[in-house]
Amino acid sequence: MIHTKILSGVTFLYFAAFVFYLFRMVLGREFWGKWATVTALGGLAAQSIALVVRWKTSYDLGFGHAPLSNFYESLIFFAWTIVLLYLLMERRLKNRSIGVFVLPVAFLIMAYASIAPGMNQRIEPLIPALQSNWLTSHVLTCFMGYAAFTVAFALGILYFFKTAAGPRPGVFVRLMPSEFHIDELIYSCAVLGFIFLTLGIVTGSVWAHYAWGSYWSWDPKETWSLITWLIYAVMLHTRLVRGWRGRRMAVMAMVGFGCMLFTYLGVNLLPSLHSYMS
Amino acid sequence: MTPKKSGIWSFFASVQLALVLLSLIAFFALVGTLVPQREEAVAFAERIPPALFSFLQKMQIFDLYHSAWFILLSGLLAVNLIICSLDRFPPAWRRFRMRHEPKNEDIFRDVAEEDTLLADTDVRTAADAALSLLRRKYHAVERADEASSAWLCAQKGRFSLFGVYIVHVSILALIAGAVVGSVFGVEGFVHIPEGETVESFSLRSGGQPLPLPFAVRCDRFTVEFYEGGMPRTFQSDLTFLKNGRAVRSAKLLVNHPVEFEGFRFYQASYGAAPGGKATLALMREGGRRDVMNVAEGYVFDLPGREGTFQVLRVEENLMKMGPAVKVAVTSRRGQEAVFWVFQQIESIKKMSPDIFEQVPLFNPGLFRPYTFSLLGLEEKYYTGLQVNRDPGTPVVAVSALGLIGGLMLILFSYARAVWIRISPSGDQVLLSIAGRSYKNQPGLQKEMRYLLAELKNRLEKRR
Repeated sequence: MIHTKILSGVTFLYFAAFVFYLFRMVLGREFWGKWATVTALGGLAAQSIALVVRWKTSYDLGFGHAPLSNFYESLIFFAWTIVLLYLLMERRLKNRSIGVFVLPVAFLIMAYASIAPGMNQRIEPLIPALQSNWLTSHVLTCFMGYAAFTVAFALGILYFFKTAAGPRPGVFVRLMPSEFHIDELIYSCAVLGFIFLTLGIVTGSVWAHYAWGSYWSWDPKETWSLITWLIYAVMLHTRLVRGWRGRRMAVMAMVGFGCMLFTYLGVNLLPSLHSYMS
Repeated sequence: MTPKKSGIWSFFASVQLALVLLSLIAFFALVGTLVPQREEAVAFAERIPPALFSFLQKMQIFDLYHSAWFILLSGLLAVNLIICSLDRFPPAWRRFRMRHEPKNEDIFRDVAEEDTLLADTDVRTAADAALSLLRRKYHAVERADEASSAWLCAQKGRFSLFGVYIVHVSILALIAGAVVGSVFGVEGFVHIPEGETVESFSLRSGGQPLPLPFAVRCDRFTVEFYEGGMPRTFQSDLTFLKNGRAVRSAKLLVNHPVEFEGFRFYQASYGAAPGGKATLALMREGGRRDVMNVAEGYVFDLPGREGTFQVLRVEENLMKMGPAVKVAVTSRRGQEAVFWVFQQIESIKKMSPDIFEQVPLFNPGLFRPYTFSLLGLEEKYYTGLQVNRDPGTPVVAVSALGLIGGLMLILFSYARAVWIRISPSGDQVLLSIAGRSYKNQPGLQKEMRYLLAELKNRLEKRR
């Protein structure tokens, strides 16, 4: 399949982009930064093409559906949204320091999707419950949220790197945005993720209402998405009302990310209506 | 502020309480995903000491999401939301109503150097430029001209002050809708074999089946498969009957529920129903061959009037030897022969040639002079339907929309006011900008920088 070949190529492009971002941070030369951005952009473009090809192939096979229907496809899409979101942020911020924390996440997800044992990479027809227009909007919004939370998590790590550096930091740390800016960015990402997670839960509820006959059935995935939602709700309240900033926000971003990861992957260990994701 | 606030009031008005409650709800939800709930708790009970199980059961750990704990926490959160909103609404309303005066000495008290701009123009021209710039970005712009100076004030995003209340009211409505659903709603399921009619359904919570105010008949069930064997679609053709009269026919598919008189029907599952139809062939030695469609319980006369035969059972796969029909033939003298008729009798005979000697029960020619053969089974399905009535659903749907709308309002817009003061400074004009935002100081700073830069641009172009 041509699209799986492109996607393994994309995995290497993301790794290369990560290496270039690392060179930039260590050597302090913007030359590497530019290459990193170009490489990541190339990877994103190639991945978009692969996704479209996969989408089209599913139609050629006679059961067309958006490539968002199983675990493999969700991982690929997750990596795609992370890189997209990151590149948009890089463009707006005009600062490339966050890439060194975000790109490895995208690379690892792609690598896992490509080489994990038992990963089903085939395009398969949809069972009746998944044949719904809500599939696309539900998965799209959820993964936009997940991507935003992932970037917030990367920013949280960045924050700790920044604060751990002494009074005379090396070039690696000096290139980073100020602590104030990182904090602002964590908040922005958490807000974006929160809105998309809310949309994801609501679209999921609407779909469940049509497919399962109940908008909420305390399925582990539903419950964990609620837990994640509550954690980020706490995070936003502590900031807006209690004035929490900096280190505490970075910690919250990490806790929230942990919950999100469990919502995405961990619940597969528990019996669930969402079991077709595994 | 009013002095009436008691200890209880301020306790319930506090954000700390909300944070604690949200964390506790998250914690209980987490426990609920780790401890088996409801039906699954039965298997769990066998692995722990009975005393511990009964203690945990008393603590409602096995139905956590419907337990007193959860209801208490949700109730407290609801009270917290109400009191907190009531407590904070009056100042928010005042902020919303507030019309700022263009002339505001206080706000310019310690204006930073970077918030000022010197321009080679006169006060009037600068004020006109500032006015047209502000009008482009703001709805409410006011201007006050004095003898030597000019003041401008612009406001925007006042409605975002209500965003938080919209979100909180939506969450309250959401909780209310869920309560309505759990009190007045019912959730159950029913299996209807093809061709049969039901007038009640079983409740998920157990107990007596609930009668429906109408009857449902499953006329037909069809299932299509992909090449790989996965189901592609399944569909029930239903007829709703009132007092024995067909009122409505509907096709029920997965993801496309059908509503009738407040009850919603969902295509949930399907299966093979007992008592499918079979096609039997009957061969009289040296004579004619009859083919007939039969089902369980059917009784026929033998073609040669030697007796009657009855179909006892129709099996899809008997002892892994394929489809089979159990038949009893009774002669007119009262002798009875009971035997199985296998569809794949030829291949069974090939595998064990002396099967009829070993198991006479498997001999389709046991009643002479007839030999039966099974031509095929027509499978009969039952359709599994989920049946719901939830009057809370519309409330929940509207609250969800409100929740999203409110969040958008809070997070993508913010209330702010900016002032521009224009005063002569030597033969130049000094423009100062100041602003006030309730929530988003960094955003406001950015906006002020932008306004000042744009203003500088415009004034320079004009010259």
